[in-house]
Parts: sequence; structure tokens; C-alpha cells
Amino acid sequence: MRVVIAEDAAVMREGLSRLLEDHGHEIVAAVADGDALLEAATRHHPDVAVVDIRMPPSYTDEGLRAAIALRREQPNVGVLVFSQYVETRYATQLLGEGSAGVGYLLKDRVADVGEFVTALARVAAGGTALDPEVVSQLVGASRRGAALDASLTPREGEVLSLMAEGRSNAGIADRLVVTEGAVEKHVANIFAKLGLPVSESDNRRVLAVLRYLES
Amino acid sequence: MGTTGGARTATDALQRSESGRLNTAVAAILREPFARRAHRELLFCLVDVLAGAVGFASIVLLLVPGTAVSAIRGGTMLVVLLVAVVASGAARRLGSVFRRLANRLLGDSVPPPLPAREATGAYKRLWTRLRDGASWRAVAYVLLRLPMAVLGLYAVAFWAGVINLTYPFWWRLFRNHPPNVELSPAWFLTPFGPFRVGAFAGTFLVFALGVAMVLTAPWVTRAVTSVDHWLVQRLLGPGRSDERVRRLQQTRARLVDDSAAAMRRIERDLHDGTQAQLATLAMRLGQAKEKLENGSEMPFDPDGALELVDAAHRQAKEALVELRGIARGIHPPALDLGLDAALATLVARSAVPTALRIDMPVRPTPAIETIAYFSVAELLANVAKHSRARQAEVEVIGGEERLRIRVIDDGVGGAMLEVGRGLKGLESRVGGVDGALSIGSPPGGPTAVTVELPVHA
Repeated sequence: MRVVIAEDAAVMREGLSRLLEDHGHEIVAAVADGDALLEAATRHHPDVAVVDIRMPPSYTDEGLRAAIALRREQPNVGVLVFSQYVETRYATQLLGEGSAGVGYLLKDRVADVGEFVTALARVAAGGTALDPEVVSQLVGASRRGAALDASLTPREGEVLSLMAEGRSNAGIADRLVVTEGAVEKHVANIFAKLGLPVSESDNRRVLAVLRYLES
Repeated sequence: MGTTGGARTATDALQRSESGRLNTAVAAILREPFARRAHRELLFCLVDVLAGAVGFASIVLLLVPGTAVSAIRGGTMLVVLLVAVVASGAARRLGSVFRRLANRLLGDSVPPPLPAREATGAYKRLWTRLRDGASWRAVAYVLLRLPMAVLGLYAVAFWAGVINLTYPFWWRLFRNHPPNVELSPAWFLTPFGPFRVGAFAGTFLVFALGVAMVLTAPWVTRAVTSVDHWLVQRLLGPGRSDERVRRLQQTRARLVDDSAAAMRRIERDLHDGTQAQLATLAMRLGQAKEKLENGSEMPFDPDGALELVDAAHRQAKEALVELRGIARGIHPPALDLGLDAALATLVARSAVPTALRIDMPVRPTPAIETIAYFSVAELLANVAKHSRARQAEVEVIGGEERLRIRVIDDGVGGAMLEVGRGLKGLESRVGGVDGALSIGSPPGGPTAVTVELPVHA
């Protein structure tokens, strides 16, 4: 993969470059603010950009705005936004343009190097990588917002929330004190009601959550 | 040019400038009756007189016809009337009319009193209105206008000197009577009462008196209006407790802003420093793990792993140092031992060699100790950053009530209270507990900043 990194903390920027190079990826540019990111992306046409949200000059949401601009300018470049915090509003802004080739992860996730690199590859390939925390916040916000899709039963809603938190079917069964078979049936119902095709993609659970949120 | 020549020129210049000053003073006095300010003040006095006349007439109507019984009845009615004026809220409106009049005519800028307290329910509203200080002060002002009107009338009478100026001109026209016809002398007005003039020669005296009156009139009206101005300020502006409330509101707002800014700064430090450090550290350890683990997609590479662990180790130590700095910025642990211990540590760390003198028999409350500590920290930081001083001194003298802190340096001076700068923030923090900050910092130095705090917050 050809990667652009936009991150203002020098330690993080260098560490990340080193890590990705270790895994055989090419860092075409490592910059420290949003404008430089857009410039580098225009020049190098990378496969994916890793973007910190808080960068100079105002240290608020420069990275996010740059990421959204980048997606408009070059829709085929994957954008992985990462940050110390998860903000629901940032997530909805980022996903407002569609979920293909978008990722939003907590910075902590770089500690699990393998998973992080896999997530980055998924985003570069046009997939989605959402932090469990992002998803649970989005679901929480949506649930509070009363925008519940009437077609899901309350039980299916519960299963969906747990799914969004990143739990496996076994974990959900454990939590709801039901059999795994029952959970599988609920999940299948959810996929069917949200009109998601049967495929063995990793994204299907995330897509279910997103579809649910969009409804 | 020789020395004497130079001296003489200087003396000439001095004399010239003195006579010049005299000329301008005379010109100013001659110009004064025609100045707009004087006319506005005259207008104000006239309004004074008019309002006083209205007030006086109403009181007379209430108190006269003059039997003792009716006077008592009238007095009671007057009191009832005043209470009614306060209870209806009209007193404040009346006050605001007079305040705006004074602001308009005298060019004052007396601010309005704080808004009246709101209350629901008829009884409660009546009660709060009756206890409203601003209303009663407005009533007092209105009552004081009566004697003020007398003074105003007297001041206005000075301007009647203009009439005196006309006597020599019409005397001959109206007084060309045949001989042996005795005419009664004509009245004219002086500051000491009315007098009469019977002969043409006398009219010149009247004229001269008129000139004197017109020239003094502006100053008399000014004297009267300045008394009124003082009354307006005292009685129609915000009261003393209002001022205090206003000041407290201001300092509170600034304190809230300051503490919000401090929290933001701490968050920023944690985010940019420690959090980034720790995330990278975790990432390096994760990478090292990958290189050592069986079955990971990376090849087994103990040397590479060791290098990463080494980097992570170094970073953990850096993160600790940073974290310690941030923690100290929130609350210096040495303060738990007492202000003197904390200041000793602080002074020892100062970039400019600094002496410390403490005489503090009473230990202040923790909040005051914290403010005192951060004041010294900020001032020493300023010394190190701006003053180019070679040495500094911190002096803490505690009394029963107040704590005085002085930070002195031998630097370049020129320190100022500027909005948005460190000293201004410090001032608001100190002001928030009724403390005070003063700066003596002439250009060229030395600089002495004094912070006074109450011992108990």
C-alpha cells in the first residue's frame, strides 16, 4: 500500500511510519497538518491516508475536515481517521458521504499492530473500519434520538447494539442469557430486515449497524 | 553663541511663555460665557429650577392651607405619596429620567443602577420594591432637588447680568423727562439682591456690574451643577453594594474563564504529550511482540524486537517526566507540606538565581496557599522569560489578615498589565479572592510585583 500520514505529534508520526514500513508498506508522505495532507494526496495519489483529527492550527477538527475534503476530491483514496477520543458528531460527519473506504479508530488501536494494519488494508480496499467505541456511541445516540426502525423487534434491537459493540454471537448469547442458536437466528433476521446480502464479508456486521443508523 | 546668550534666550522664552499663559487664561475667562458647555450647564440649572418649582408647588398644595391639623395631614399625605412612588416602581423611572438628563446636558456617563430584583406575586413584588435601595435613593434625590433648585435659581440670576448691560442704552430713550419731574429710580438685579439706580451715571456702574456677573456666571452655574453631578452619581448611579455585586460578577466571570482555560491547557498537555507518548509506546511494544510471537505474519526477529523494546523503555521514562510536570502544574505536592516548603522548591528550580525570605506566622488556608504559590511561579517564570535579570528575590510577609508577596528582580523593567497576558490573568485570579496586584516596573528596571492576598479565603 502507498500511505500518507497526517499526524502532528512527531513521536507518533515516526512510530507509525516505522510500523507500516515494517509491514512492507510505502509511506509516500508524512505531514503534520490538514493542508499539507491534501497537497500530498494530490501529488502522490496514495491508496490510503491515516489522519489525526486534532492538528494545528486550531487543534480542533482540522484532520476531520481535511479527511472529508479528501474524500470528495479523491473518492478512491481510503481515509482512516484516528484520534484520542471518539466523537459521535465526527463519526456521522465522516460517514455522511458513505461508508466505503472510511475508517474511524481510536489511537489506542495501534497497540494491536496486526489488527490495525488489517483495518488499514480494509479501508484502502474500499471497506470500512469502525472502532467498537464509535459504533456503540452512534447506536446510543441514535437510540436516544428515537429514530428507531420500527421493523426491528426490541430483542433484535438489543442484539444489534451488542453487535455494534463488537461482540461475537457467543458473547451476545452470554450477555442476553440465551443460546447461541437463538442469537444466530436474530442476527439472520436483522440482516434480512436491513436487506443485507448473504456474504462472508467481515463488514457485514458493521454494515448492519450503519444501515440501521441510516434508517 | 555664548553661555550667557543662551541663558538670556531661555529666560526670554520663559517670560514669553508666562505672559502667553496669562493671555490664554484671560482669553479663556472671556470666552467662557460663550462656551457651549456653559450654556448646557445653564440649561441644566433652568431645568433644575423648573423641576424644583413643580415639586415645591405640589408640596405647598399638600401642606397649605396652613392650620396645624392640615399640615400634619399634608405631611402624612406627602409620606404616603413618596411610598406610593416607590411601591409603583415610578421612583426608578423618575431617577432614570434625571440621570439621563444629567448625562445628556452635563456630558456625564453615570451608569444605571443594577436592575430591580424580580419577584412573583403581588405582595412579594410590593415588598421587594419597598426594599429597593435604588428607588429610595431616587426619592432622596428628588427631595434634594428642592434646595438644589434654590441654588440653581441663584446661579441663573447671575446670567441676568446680561440685562444690566442694556441699562446705559435705553436710559436716555425712556428717561428724557422734563426737569423737575421726579421719576422713581429703576430696579436692577445684583447677586446681593435688587438695587435701584436713579441717574444716568449710575447705569455705567450697572453695566460694569453686569459684565462682572456675566463673567462669573459660568463658574457659579458650574459649581451648582457639579454639586448636582455628585448627587446624581451618588443617588442615581449604582449603589455601593451594586458596585460590589458588579465587581464580584466580573471577577467571578473571569475566574470561571480562567479555570476553564486552565483545564483546556491541561487537556492539551495530556493529549499532545502523554497520550501520544503512551500510544506510540504501546504501538512499539505491539510491534516487538509481533516480532517475537510464533505464528504472526512477521518473521522472528529478536534483535529488531529488542530495539523496539529499548525505544519503548526510553519513551516510558519520558512520559513519566512529562506526566510529573503536568501533575505538578495541577497541584504541587510540596504545597501539602506548607507554602514555605513549596516556595523553597520553586525558588530552587528558578532559572534566575533567586533568594527567598518568608515571615509568615499564620498558615493561610489551602486555597490561598495555592494562589500564592502559582502567583510566585508565574512571576518567576516572567522574570526568567522577559526581564533579563541577573538575580531575583521573593519576599513573603504574612500578617493576621493579609499576606503580602513581593517578587523583585534587577532586570530591564517595563512590565505591564496587558489584556490577555500572564499578569492580567494573575490579577484576575488574585482579584477573585479580594486580593490585589500592583506593579512597579519603570523602563530600565528594577521590577517589583506585589501580590496581596487575604490569609483566609
